[in-house]
Amino acid sequence: MFKYVKHTNFPINIKKKDLRMAKYLISQFGGANGELAASLRYFSQKFSMPDDYGKALLNDIATEELGHCEMIAGMVAQLTKDASISELEAVGLGGRFTEHGKGVYPTNADGAPFTATYFAVTGDPLADIMEDMAAEEKARAVYENLIDLTNDEDVLRPLLFLRQREIVHFNRFKELYEYYKKKGY
Amino acid sequence: MLFEDNMFDVNLSLFMPDVDFSRDNKILEPMEGFLRGNMFKDEYVPYKNLTYFKLNPSSEKEKMLYKVMALSFAINDLNLYLDLHPDKKDVFDLFKKYSQEKEKLCNEYEKLYGPLEVTGTTGSKFDWIDSPWPWENKGGSMYV
Repeated sequence: MFKYVKHTNFPINIKKKDLRMAKYLISQFGGANGELAASLRYFSQKFSMPDDYGKALLNDIATEELGHCEMIAGMVAQLTKDASISELEAVGLGGRFTEHGKGVYPTNADGAPFTATYFAVTGDPLADIMEDMAAEEKARAVYENLIDLTNDEDVLRPLLFLRQREIVHFNRFKELYEYYKKKGY
Repeated sequence: MLFEDNMFDVNLSLFMPDVDFSRDNKILEPMEGFLRGNMFKDEYVPYKNLTYFKLNPSSEKEKMLYKVMALSFAINDLNLYLDLHPDKKDVFDLFKKYSQEKEKLCNEYEKLYGPLEVTGTTGSKFDWIDSPWPWENKGGSMYV
């Protein structure tokens, strides 16, 4: 089960409205390489991990990623707070407003809704963990693209933190992969 | 580097580990690790010329919450490491130390500022529901 703690993983306090950045950032919530896909991927894969190491690691990273979903979605909400309809239309978010108002719906940057086809569960620990390693690298690359798209320190700070978490998670998955490979799973 | 020693003007002795890692400086202090996004020094890979930024707490409440968050981060990162290395006694000892410190600090915070977990709602009023929630922002002055 899960317990809610009333603070984010890392402080988020965005003072400047930036609809352009919000439009891009939503991808790390509901896009193919986003945090929701990461969380559900590890959460779903944990049930077929062969030993205590894999069960624990996938469970614990899935939990952390759910907190990252809240960070990204919260950033989008803060970036779009007080936006007028004409401002939303000006950055091409008129269609999004039609469907979702100013709600935070998980899509990629182009508006494609989140889908479970963004991740796999094969039941094979080596295949699953290799995917997890790739997923962390892809998420890191997307964070770097997002970092290149802004110079607002309030946005950069959490993005740099989240990018570094992808690196750490990659290292843990890689260790697990190498161990499982040796074990012959 | 955009930022060196102290994140802000607080006593960081709270975060000094009992175990002496200073010789190889392998494990960072919670606040330092928190700002970087990793507790293990050799895992830090900065992007371009960007490292990490200073946090600017605007109140005592915010300062205290950042300490809670830093400890919570440290515990989480050591947790992931221990998942694969449960026999590393020095890391486990540090994990236990930070867990105890966090529990103590959370209790102090909850007494002063309200619940962090629903079971911390122990005052005369059910203030768990009180805003701001972590994803909210009230004009840049709130704690998240």
